[in-house]
Amino acid sequence: MSMLKLHRVSKTFNPGTPNEVRALIDVTLNLAPASFLIVIGTNGSGKSTLLNAVAGSFKVDSGTIELAGEKITRWEEHERAKLIGRVFQNPFSGTAPTMSIAENLALAARRGRSRGLGLAVNRRMKNELRDRVRSLNMGLEDRLGNAIGTLSGGQRQALTLLMASWLRPELLLLDEHTAALDPKTADQVIRLTHDVIERDKLTTLMVTHSMQQAVNLGDRIVMMYKGRVLHDLEGSERARLRPEDLLSRFEEVRRREQMDGAVAEMLTQAYV
Amino acid sequence: MTLLIGALTLGLILAVLSLGVYVSFRIFNMPDLTAEGSITLGASVAAALLVSGHNAFVSTLAGAFAGSMAGLATGLLATKCRVNPLLSGILVMTGLYSVNLHVMGKSNIPLLEVTTLADLAERLGERIFGGEVNINLVGWTVSVRDLSMFLGVLLLVTAVCLLLYFFFRTEVGTALRATGDNPQMICALGVSVDTGTIFGLAMSNGLIGLSGALLAQFQGFADVQMGIGMVVLGIASVIIGEALVGSRTIGLLIVGTVMGSVLFRLLVAIALRWGLNPNDLKLITALFVFVALVMPDLARRLKMRGNRIEEAA
Repeated sequence: MSMLKLHRVSKTFNPGTPNEVRALIDVTLNLAPASFLIVIGTNGSGKSTLLNAVAGSFKVDSGTIELAGEKITRWEEHERAKLIGRVFQNPFSGTAPTMSIAENLALAARRGRSRGLGLAVNRRMKNELRDRVRSLNMGLEDRLGNAIGTLSGGQRQALTLLMASWLRPELLLLDEHTAALDPKTADQVIRLTHDVIERDKLTTLMVTHSMQQAVNLGDRIVMMYKGRVLHDLEGSERARLRPEDLLSRFEEVRRREQMDGAVAEMLTQAYV
Repeated sequence: MTLLIGALTLGLILAVLSLGVYVSFRIFNMPDLTAEGSITLGASVAAALLVSGHNAFVSTLAGAFAGSMAGLATGLLATKCRVNPLLSGILVMTGLYSVNLHVMGKSNIPLLEVTTLADLAERLGERIFGGEVNINLVGWTVSVRDLSMFLGVLLLVTAVCLLLYFFFRTEVGTALRATGDNPQMICALGVSVDTGTIFGLAMSNGLIGLSGALLAQFQGFADVQMGIGMVVLGIASVIIGEALVGSRTIGLLIVGTVMGSVLFRLLVAIALRWGLNPNDLKLITALFVFVALVMPDLARRLKMRGNRIEEAA
């Protein structure tokens, strides 16, 4: 039984132009319920594309995506939001700046559900969100009426995480969500991420640049390279992993690539 | 005094337009040019229905509904057809010019022979004030007709403001605000940005159509040219309103927009009284909006330069 199933998913951007990028090539991936997958890779490896393909930012060219037993390949992005909670890389992307903290959270409390003409922030909602915001330990529970735009990036990212997990999502997508934060705040958000995922037993797919995060968090690591899954590490192999091992694997890939370049050049000189 | 009451009434009627512009321009971040066509559409539909013998309330509502259909068209162009939003507004506005001529059958419909909302207000006023033609209001002589129209419009604008204020605090209303504020976020929370935008534009232009229907009945005619410059006028009112209330909360901004529209109308009335050439009005309005738009940025740059000079010293 898997929660998320990607079967032979491919995506090419700008096909038939000089800017053609084969971002995903035949990617097959199964994610068990309550597992925490970390996707790493260099720039342009396709790791963010993989996440966006699941989120529905674009339609894939071929292959199928299944989430929680539903075939979501043809679903629109906002329809998939019923099943998916998301935190973006940019701390400003996950919240509406001119609206209050309370209003933002109230919007998240109806993620993927019908919205009616009842007051968005009623008394019961206010009490519930005060409790949940208090659990962040950021002192924001006394500032629920303030516009979110007045908060720091770290605070906004913490709130986005709270919003994404408000209604327990079938899948939590984290897109390098600490990359734009300073190291101390990033640590704080990572700790919070860990707590939320542990508490609600969330199935999680997280993309990151940080080798440290990759080895500290999660129970499975997938390393992407040029649109394919290069390594898929779980269980004991994953448990023994240190950041240096990951780095050396990257180094290996890089060296192989350089050699490819050199060989290509040699061949060009010989035959052209 | 007649001049003052007239200016206030007109300001309130145009406040409904300004509220519509506030919805598209501030909440959805889209300067929607449909307004120039939909205000005329609201006026011409109401006028055509009135002349063919329909009730004033029905005609006014039909004008508002027609306006919202124009907004719906712009919304569909901008979202489902992926036309640039500004261009979508221009296309619908241009098309509406012909539509309006067809609705009215000519370029101008006078409303002097029919019973308009203004006449209904006057009758009600006469009953309330005991059949007097003029009454004494804190030392000023005011015609009952002017006063009743003013009070009627004031009541209506208050109702519109309250409705808007409560609507934007409901679940649907907050989702719509978030659609304009951060489309990426609201999409990730399960709301279709396309649907939200279409609904928002329909709502905005419904208000503008309502304003047009009221305007036609207030001034006694509908004219195919009456929409020219209305977007800039609305934006000017919104900007003045923001300066007046100096706040970002929705309730105050709604009140501010109404105040902005009324204040702007008063300033125009005074300027015209002082001998301003009415032909220059639109140029001055456009210049005003231009200055108001570049001012914050200019002030920031001047301040930055000031800081740099200080640092250098």
